[in-house]
Formats: sequence, C-alpha cells, structure tokens
Amino acid sequence: MIELRPQTIEEARAQLSQLGREKKTCAFLGSGTKLMLGALPRTDAQLRTAGLARIVEYEPADQVVSFEAGIALAALQNALAKERQRLSLDPPFAAKATLGGIIAAASSGPRRMRYGAVRDLILGVSIVRSGGELARSGGKVVKNVAGFDLPKLVCGSLGTLGLIAAATIRVHPLPEAEASLIVRSLSSEQVPQLLDKIRAAQIEPAAMVASRTGPDRWDVAVLFEGFEAGVKQQEAKLRAVAPADRCDPWADHAALRERGELRLKISALPTALPQVESELFSRLPGARAAWYPTLGLGFVSMDAAPIAAELEFARRSFRVVVEAAPAGSTLDRWGPPPQSLRLQKAVKARLDPEGLLAPGSFVGGI
Amino acid sequence: MPPRTESQDRRAPPPHDLDEQKPGGTQAHFESPSKRLPAEVIARFCAAVGEENVIREPEDLRVYEADGLATYRVTPGVVLLPATSEEVSQVVKIARAAGLPIVARGAGTGLSGGAMPVAGCALIGLSRMKKFLEVDLRNAFVRVQPGVTNLDVSKHIAADGWYYAPDPSSQSVCTIGGNVAENSGGAHCLKYGFTVNHVLGVRMVLSDGEIVTIGGPTLDEPGYDLLGVVVGSEGLLGVVTEVVLRILRKPEATRTFFATFPSNEEAGNAVSAIIASGIVPAAIEMMDTLAIVAAKAATGVDWPEVGSALLMDVDGPLAECEHTSQRAIELARQCGAMEIRVPRDTAERELMWKGRKSAFAAVGRISRNYLVQDGVIPRKEIARVLKEISDLGTKYGLRVANVFHAGDGNLHPLVLFDARVPGEEKKAEEMSGDILRICIRYGGSITGEHGVGSDKSAYLGEMFSEPDLEAMAQVRCAFDPDNVLNPGKVFPTPRLCGDKPGIYKPHAAELSGQAERV
Repeated sequence: MIELRPQTIEEARAQLSQLGREKKTCAFLGSGTKLMLGALPRTDAQLRTAGLARIVEYEPADQVVSFEAGIALAALQNALAKERQRLSLDPPFAAKATLGGIIAAASSGPRRMRYGAVRDLILGVSIVRSGGELARSGGKVVKNVAGFDLPKLVCGSLGTLGLIAAATIRVHPLPEAEASLIVRSLSSEQVPQLLDKIRAAQIEPAAMVASRTGPDRWDVAVLFEGFEAGVKQQEAKLRAVAPADRCDPWADHAALRERGELRLKISALPTALPQVESELFSRLPGARAAWYPTLGLGFVSMDAAPIAAELEFARRSFRVVVEAAPAGSTLDRWGPPPQSLRLQKAVKARLDPEGLLAPGSFVGGI
Repeated sequence: MPPRTESQDRRAPPPHDLDEQKPGGTQAHFESPSKRLPAEVIARFCAAVGEENVIREPEDLRVYEADGLATYRVTPGVVLLPATSEEVSQVVKIARAAGLPIVARGAGTGLSGGAMPVAGCALIGLSRMKKFLEVDLRNAFVRVQPGVTNLDVSKHIAADGWYYAPDPSSQSVCTIGGNVAENSGGAHCLKYGFTVNHVLGVRMVLSDGEIVTIGGPTLDEPGYDLLGVVVGSEGLLGVVTEVVLRILRKPEATRTFFATFPSNEEAGNAVSAIIASGIVPAAIEMMDTLAIVAAKAATGVDWPEVGSALLMDVDGPLAECEHTSQRAIELARQCGAMEIRVPRDTAERELMWKGRKSAFAAVGRISRNYLVQDGVIPRKEIARVLKEISDLGTKYGLRVANVFHAGDGNLHPLVLFDARVPGEEKKAEEMSGDILRICIRYGGSITGEHGVGSDKSAYLGEMFSEPDLEAMAQVRCAFDPDNVLNPGKVFPTPRLCGDKPGIYKPHAAELSGQAERV
C-alpha cells in the first residue's frame, strides 16, 4: 500500500497524475471517522488529506469561507467563532471529522432541519480528478448558476469521483441565544402530531430530535436559536402546545450517532414513524434509536447482532442504509439501488473512466 | 451572442408585475426557416400526443421561436405539447429516431435563451402539464407537473397556511419546470435558498426516452446527488416531467421597511452592517436613482428621488421580527439613512414590493432600449463595483440603472441606450460584457439566476478554465452522450462526448460476493 500525504494541492495533483499513469487505484482519507463497512476499499494507494488543512480565504462580511478539505470542522469552527460566525452543520464526529470527509459522506445532524445539509451550504469545490487534473465548479459567492453544480454532485460521493481538495461554503452568524426543551414520553403516533401542532402555532425550531426511550416511547428535544426575544417567545409558545422542560440532550444524541458497532440510517416520510417503529425499531432489542421528525431520517445504534432478516423486512417499506458494521460483516450496505443506477454508473465512468478512485465501495458496486 | 435588448413600450404597463419584462425585440435576428418535417414523422408525433397537440404550421411555430431573450429567434421544426411523462418519453424517442435535436420549454420567460429553439428542433412545450399530483402538508411536500406556475404552487396551499419559498419576479407566469431547469432564485432566496434547496425529487425523461425517478419525498436516496446537478442544468440533462417540492409553513410575521440614502455607498454599507449584526433578512433589495425614478414612473410609488434606496423584509416568529427590524432600522440610520418608511398595512407593503419588482420593466419608461445584466459579486464589494460600473458608463457615454438583490451580491445593472443612434446598441453590448468581466475579476459569477443559456456561453469560458468545463461536460455526456438535448447551450465551444467510456470492470469485492452490483 502506497501512503500519500500531500502538503499542497499541487502535490496531490502530481501524486494522482502518477497513480493515473501507473493505473493504480486510490482511496482518500480525512481523519478516518467514517471508516465504515466498505467505505474504504482495498486500493493500491491511500491519500491522506491531513496536510491540506489551510483556510484559503475567509471574508466574514460575505459569510463565506474557502478552505482546503483536510481541515477539521472543529478547527474551522474555531476560526469562524472569532468573528461570531459558524458553519451551521452539526454532523456526527464534529470534534474530529474533516470538512472533506463531511462533504464526501454528506454527513449531517439535527440542524439540517433549518440550515440544510452540506449540499445546501456548499458553494464551490475544487476536485482533483484521477489523472491529476484540477476541476473547479461553483464559486465563492452565495448565488451562482453559471455551469453545472458539481459541488452538490460530490456531496456524498465517498471519494469515487475525485479528491475533494478545496471547497467554499456558506456560514451563518452565531445565534445570540439558544434554548433546548424536551417533550417527554410520546408514542410514535404522537411525535408527528407534536410537529403538526408546532407548525400550526408557527413555531420555528432550528432542530428537533426524537429519542427512543422504550417500546413506542419517544422524548422529543426541540432546539431554538436566534435573538433572545425570539427564543423566549418561542419557548413560551412551545410550552403552550405541550408540556416541556429545559434539557441538554445533544451530547447523548451525538453519542448515538457516533457509537455502536452497528449503525443504521433510515429514510422515510416524516409521518411514517409508527411504521418504522413497528417494522424496525421494535424488532431490534437493545438498540438505541433517534428520529428527526421533519426530515424523516432515523438512526439506530447497537451492538453487533445478526440483523440481515430484520434489515430485509424493513427494506420492503422504507430505506435503510448500514452506516457502520463490524469488520467482516456481510450486510448489504445500501439496500436496493436507486432507479437511476444506470445514470450513476455513467457519471462515474465519465469522471473516472479508468475506475481508479475507491472502486467498488459505492452504491451498486460503483 | 450579445446580451438581450429590450425596447420601449409606452402603450401600457407590462402585463405582469415582472421585473423581467418580455422584451420587445426591435433588433430581432432571424434564422432562415428550416425545411418542413417529413409527413411520416409528423404522423408519429400525432399518434403519440394527438393531432391538436402537434404544432407544425410555420405561422404557428413562430410563437415559439424565442423565450424572454426575444432578440434572437430560431424557428423550431415542430412543437409538441404532451400531457404525461409517457407522452414526453414517446416524443423524445420519435424525435431521436428522426434525428431531431430536442429543446424543452416552460412558459418561455427565461432571460438567457435557454428555451430558445435550436434550428429545426422538436420543441417540447410543457404548458399542458399543469396538474397537482399530490399535496401532503403533514410531510411538507407537493408533487406537481412541470407546467404548474411558481405562484400557483403557493396559491394552491395558501388557505392551509403554507407556501413555496422561491419567488422569481416572473412567478405569476414562469413554470416550475423552468425554475428547475434554471435553478431560479428571487428576492427571498437570501434566507430561504434557491430552487435547488426546495426540490426533493424529479421524474425525468432522458435523452433516449427512458423515464427515471431521482430522489422523491424521502431524503437521501443512496448514490450520487444527481438531483443537485439536474436542478440548474438548463435543459441539457433531460426533460423533467414531475417535481416534488418542499413547502413551508408561513412565518408568523413579516416586517418591511424602505430606507433612502444619499448614495450607493451608504446603502451598501447599511447592507453590510445589517448582515454583520447577525440578522438574516428574508430579502434586502437595493435601487439607485435611475431605478427609483423608473419605478415611480411605472407604479406611482411616492419615493423620493435620492441616490439610493433599500427595501428590506425580515420574517419569522413575531418577537424575533420586531427585534430584528428595529435593529436593522437603527443600523440603517447609523449608516446615513435619510428617511425610513415602515408600511402601515399590507396594501402599502405590497405597493413597495410592486415598485421594486416592476423596476426592470419600468426602465422602459425612461429609456428607449436597455440591456438587462445579471452578475454576482462578493457582497462587501458592492460600493466599489457600482463605482466601477458607473465609470464604465461614463467611458461608454451610457446611463446605467441598478436594481439588485443586495443581500447576496446579485447585481442587475440595466444599460440604457437608444437603438436609433448608430453604434449605440453595440456600445451597450460591449459595456454589458465588461460588467460581467468586472464580476469575474471580483471573484463573482456571470449569472446569479438568469442562467447561461445561449446568451452567456462565451463568458462561461472566461469564468472557468478548460479542465473545469471539461468535468462539467462529462456530466452532460453521462446523461446525454449524443448531445441532442438543448445542444449548443451553456458550453462555450461545441463538445463531443467521444467514445463511450471504458467497460465497467467488477471490483474484487464484488467478485468475492462482499459487495453486489445490480
């Protein structure tokens, strides 16, 4: 295995150019927080982005920041905080994960409810293609429709289209105030009903997470962010809709997203929680589960167990992706492929014609 | 191709309160009419969509020969008006078999020639496809056909207290299909994002007629984010036949104010100060003297003819709105605002917005002709760039009106000229191009919301390098290897996809059964 640690994008280009000439396969690695099942295929070479960690340009007045992709989210947040700004992404492994890894895995957290996912915040990207060519797309302004939007295409591409070398992303002001409240012990029917009430009352949380406390029992955490006056008013309005207490559930939630030998991600309609409860959560004894009520995304964390049958059963009704599994697991990571698989393969074949980048690790064997 | 020209229209106010008026096309450049299609091809189209939905008489085809960029006209070979995804698929297959290029069209309000026909093409008009297929408020989405207009989405769900956020100025006529093709923005996208942030899924017909679904009401379909690249692909990747849109609950409150300043510099500083304070305005729009004069002439708003004006919305929870609007007003005063007006009621607020939204069309009242430009710069450079544009005006001897989305640095300079004066149109076109070069020089973009289309493809090559464009072109090749969808648009030089890429080789893990390919 060849290990590459480029210190500049130019160096990375030279390395990928050489690998391309020698027809050697390569995978990219940030801080390694998402080395899940199949995510890092066996390749001739491995390129680590740790040496590409500079902030290239940061204009607080424009609320955009450009950086090399090996920079850690935590380091970037520190720099932004000095200007009372932040990247409004709260993916798992926030302490360690690199931006390149977060973009490549399209990793997101509860604040996606208000601020969107990486794909909604990214403005521009520079990728090094297999063969070493540098291709830029997007830009460094928040509004731009010139050319195809490759920054979105690379979100979630897991290093199969090119090395995400640098990117530009939109940042937000740090909120002046925040408050977290919890509404306890709801059934899976009542969770979407609480959301109906919140919407009817025109309450605008920044994030919501339902945590499973037992069979068909859920505690719903609601986060408010903004100016003091607004946060106070919203807190009062929520208490008028449902009994709610102050709480701080976010570290627990992060642990659920980060730990457990076996981790699953569910995608369904927001109102499908009762079905997800009965067809998956209730069939996995000992599993911890969380649900994002507006996004229809669920997460399971558990110890290793044979769950192939449960997975197959659940996949008849909704999407389940295996986000992490013990080494040697034979679980089908992605489940049924998207209907667009032919297009997916064509995109891969066009952007990496020799199939040198992280081959075999992506959806449908891409 | 040079930028569009708009002609004066003194007869009546524009039919819609667009800031993107349909141009009059005084200087239209016609292509020679293409030869008629063989009868058997027409017969096949008729069998697919019904005779009444196949437009082939030369005088009828002329209706479709331009979009909002009306200075350039090309006659299509035939216009098809399908009603379903399946009909679109059939039409694409017939067109392919007949060797015709294919161009899709919504309402034809685009300002970059994206829906302009290619000579002799099969033009697929999606105006008959205007059904609401599904409305699911609890799951916050609607599924619509592409011919539904932008404003009709919000109207359809308004009674229940919901709306669709992207609001291009042409929203009363432009279609969702066109919005998807162009990744349309609008005044309120600063806070809420663009079309791409509100499209959850599409059904689309590919260049070979295959119907494919990408995304859907549920999030995070495994695989590449094809949706992210389809939205804004200007009709080069497929014909979208269904769209799943994310909808939003209406905010509790909206607060609006209008502020006047001695010059663009103070107004630009106020925008920066407001944004720097942590406020995310729902919209923050800026107009200079000429634009104010034009808006007054067109709509009767009683705005003072000052150097510069801001119109700003904040929305959200009531207490938050009260706080942020007061704070923004304070900041505007500190930056030199001369007068602040807060609308007393909804009617007055709507009039203020009408003044802003009709500003493009209104410029027709103060100039015989004008070019609409659409460029983006980093927000903090607003004052400096406006100064450079003003200097350009002096150099070329032309007036410039500025109306723009200040919050995201999206400029819409309007270059005024008189086409009757020999050489003046050419000067205006050159100056308009120079404005784009200023945007590129400041690290911005040649288009924030109008698209590249036919109009700006030459400038795309100034903004991006050859390898940048090559990567984008490869994506097009993945979707449309034979280059039959909207050919000649967006990319500056004709590109062939070349040989089919290498044969797919199974990975070792796949062969050993650890991973499977479907």
